Amino acid sequence: MTAAATAPVLELRNIETYYGPVMAIRGVSLKVFDRQVVAVLGANGAGKTTVLKTICGAMDPRKGTVTLRGEDITGRDPDRVARLGIGHVPEGREVFPFLNVEENLRMGAFSRRDGGIAEDLELVYSYFPPLAERRKLEAGFLSGGQQQMLAIGRALMLRPALMLLDEPSLGLSPRLVHEIAEIVKRLNEEQGVTLLLVEQNARMALDVADYGYVMEVGRVVMEDTAERLRNATDIQEFYLGMKDEGVRGRRRWKVRKTWR
Amino acid sequence: MAVTALAGDDAVRVDGCATIPELFWKRATERADKVALREKDFGIWNEYTWADYGEQARLAGLGLKALGLERGDVVSIASEVNKEWMFADLGVICIGGVTNGVYPTDAPNQVEYLIDDSATRYYFAEDEEQLDKVLEVRERTTTLEKVVIFDMEGLRDLEDDMCMSFEALLELGHEYGERHPEVWTAEIAKARPEDLMVLTYTSGTTGPPKGAMITQRNMLYMMNTLQGCYGVHESDEQLGFLPLAHVAGRMFYTFAVLESCSVVNLVEELETAVTDQQEVAPTIHFAVPRVWEKQFSTVAIKLKEATALGRLAYRLALAVGERRAACLKAGERVPVPIAAAFFFADLLVFKNIRRMLGIDDCRWLSTAAAPIAPDLIDWYWAIGKPMYEVYGQTECSGLATANLIGDFRIGSVGKAVEGAEVALSEENEILIRSPGVIAGYWNKPEKTADTIRQGWLHTGDVGRIDDDGFVYIVDRMKDIIITAGGKNITPSEIENQLKFSPYITDAVVVGDRRPFLTCLVMIDHENVTKYAQDNDVPFTNYTSLCHTQEVQDLVWGEIERVNARFARVETIKKFRLIDQLLDAEDEELTPTQKLKRKVVHEKYGDLIGGMYR
Repeated sequence: MTAAATAPVLELRNIETYYGPVMAIRGVSLKVFDRQVVAVLGANGAGKTTVLKTICGAMDPRKGTVTLRGEDITGRDPDRVARLGIGHVPEGREVFPFLNVEENLRMGAFSRRDGGIAEDLELVYSYFPPLAERRKLEAGFLSGGQQQMLAIGRALMLRPALMLLDEPSLGLSPRLVHEIAEIVKRLNEEQGVTLLLVEQNARMALDVADYGYVMEVGRVVMEDTAERLRNATDIQEFYLGMKDEGVRGRRRWKVRKTWR
Repeated sequence: MAVTALAGDDAVRVDGCATIPELFWKRATERADKVALREKDFGIWNEYTWADYGEQARLAGLGLKALGLERGDVVSIASEVNKEWMFADLGVICIGGVTNGVYPTDAPNQVEYLIDDSATRYYFAEDEEQLDKVLEVRERTTTLEKVVIFDMEGLRDLEDDMCMSFEALLELGHEYGERHPEVWTAEIAKARPEDLMVLTYTSGTTGPPKGAMITQRNMLYMMNTLQGCYGVHESDEQLGFLPLAHVAGRMFYTFAVLESCSVVNLVEELETAVTDQQEVAPTIHFAVPRVWEKQFSTVAIKLKEATALGRLAYRLALAVGERRAACLKAGERVPVPIAAAFFFADLLVFKNIRRMLGIDDCRWLSTAAAPIAPDLIDWYWAIGKPMYEVYGQTECSGLATANLIGDFRIGSVGKAVEGAEVALSEENEILIRSPGVIAGYWNKPEKTADTIRQGWLHTGDVGRIDDDGFVYIVDRMKDIIITAGGKNITPSEIENQLKFSPYITDAVVVGDRRPFLTCLVMIDHENVTKYAQDNDVPFTNYTSLCHTQEVQDLVWGEIERVNARFARVETIKKFRLIDQLLDAEDEELTPTQKLKRKVVHEKYGDLIGGMYR
């Protein structure tokens, strides 16, 4: 990525977000540059989804700022954030089950007033052939993988400046995970879509991403290029399930994380 | 309650006993149903009586005997502080073995060195993690015969002839005891005051660690000394959190307790020590400077969050506390107005602080093992708790000098304790002669001859002694900085002032044969993170936090504040932050989380060089 020299598309500065009295995010800062795929990794409850919700406006941070292309969008309502070009693919797909595939996709372009919608529909169908075959099928009848494709397609219909992807691998078979990952990669390479990807499946995320952040209990503990993250010992042990073989073969105790 | 007698036959006795096994067994039988220890397990404080303590130690000792332990064999224990450590320790000592503590943070190669150098035959490992370190190196050791594991969690399927659980060892001891009922008391009776009892490895400045040989007599003398200095009562409660491999932890939790019959409360985990301390509310508390610094910075940070009224109350209270402390320190009576003002300051402010820290019930606080800023001691006095600095080394089994209640000077380490003499060499090195001075280093006669000459222990510390006999430690001899301009500077004095800042955990001042002074700083992660968030400084991880301009400015501000207190040649001109989060397993840190000067110089040579380019 040569984008580092330019200004970031999205920048978070010291975000602190609460669920009532519970501080879910404890000062997170991150940057996403144009045409970059950035992954946020972390275990359950690390605060990954909350970061996305804070960006898209579903939650308001108590502190810190969110800027999109230099414009402060902190605390804006979600519909206004979407109009500014942030497409959110929520965790668990959340497609409209009683609308058919095409209606679902059109919902993604709801705020658009330009004439390119029909072209974009075809573009989505070209990336997701299974959807093209089921244009008129109610979304509730789609498989998990197809629903995930639909959710991504729906966000694409916004022609987003930035797409937020929340756990696209959730509940999918390894083959489908691979398929979705390939599509995400192609979207980035061919269409130049900028992506912020939240994942527990670190192998997939680091495969797709250029850059990654690792979160733990609401804080960023590590950031680096995906390449270097893949080779960091902590990541290998805690996220990729690789371990040194101990003297007794299998080692159950965990070494202390150092995040370096 | 203990009778202290220096008998004519040169024996040091505690309660009539001239050896530790004799004393221990006396306690275990005479105080059978009284509480000796508590240990927190899953949040519950379990009690262990002297009878339990005695029985577990007996079974452990007999178990080792059944395995073939001979008198004088070395047994190593690698574990965090816990009851099994103490049971095994006294079992070994009573059966005639020698115990050697291994820090649980030691790396496998260090474990290998310790086993080899001490000729360890039996090794106690706390858990799976400690076990793996031994198994990794056992092929290369020649003396090791058996590894006993305290906590078998995750090891149910372990099948290895060399390994057994602590329970199995006790079972073995039980069977052996049935068959040979006389052995235990017979072995206790065989103990002699001059017997080697404990090996404590000290990190040498040159070469590998050396095992200091502490005898029964050394430790009995030390127990009497501690009792003579402060008095530890039967009703006293201690918090056990310092590593038992360190001579101070061993003295306070294992041996002093044999004399005083006070109770030790062992923490659940080191991470829970803060809450454990609040629950236990110890009545006497010994800790290392790092702990006292941390407590102070907790208060300093809490205060930043307090309301303006709260901060004002604290400032007023502290002013009163300082004036009262000044009177106490000068040995004068506290004037009535100040005493009255203090009453309210205490009621409204200090009592809460002390409760939060868990020191409210303490009769006295004590610090040693590393240099401490006098200002920090003053602060504890101001909030109403007397703190006494003491000084000693592993090589003199613990204490050599102490500030006493009613006879102390802040900034000094006190006067020579009873039975000890302190002198200065021509180079102003502190020399100690006392019954606590060790028999020597294990298998290192030339090192012994180097360190102990004509009965005088050469401490390697530079200091001075005032007209009244108070000893002041300047620094480690090898650490004194001589700048390129020829000026002698004692880095620890400057470092202590830096560490006093809540944002600085540790610092190493550099400048030997250099044109000016610089320093490397390790920030306090928690407090600096908080500072960054409060001030909207964006950062991601520890490294990026260290690199932000605001944090650099913050630390520089703290350095400037310290610089103002020193002469121009002693001021720090440049600094760098250590931008990696270090933990106890990193070689840069000692087990007490202090930076090791030598390692820092080596590892961060480029960083240091950069400041002089």
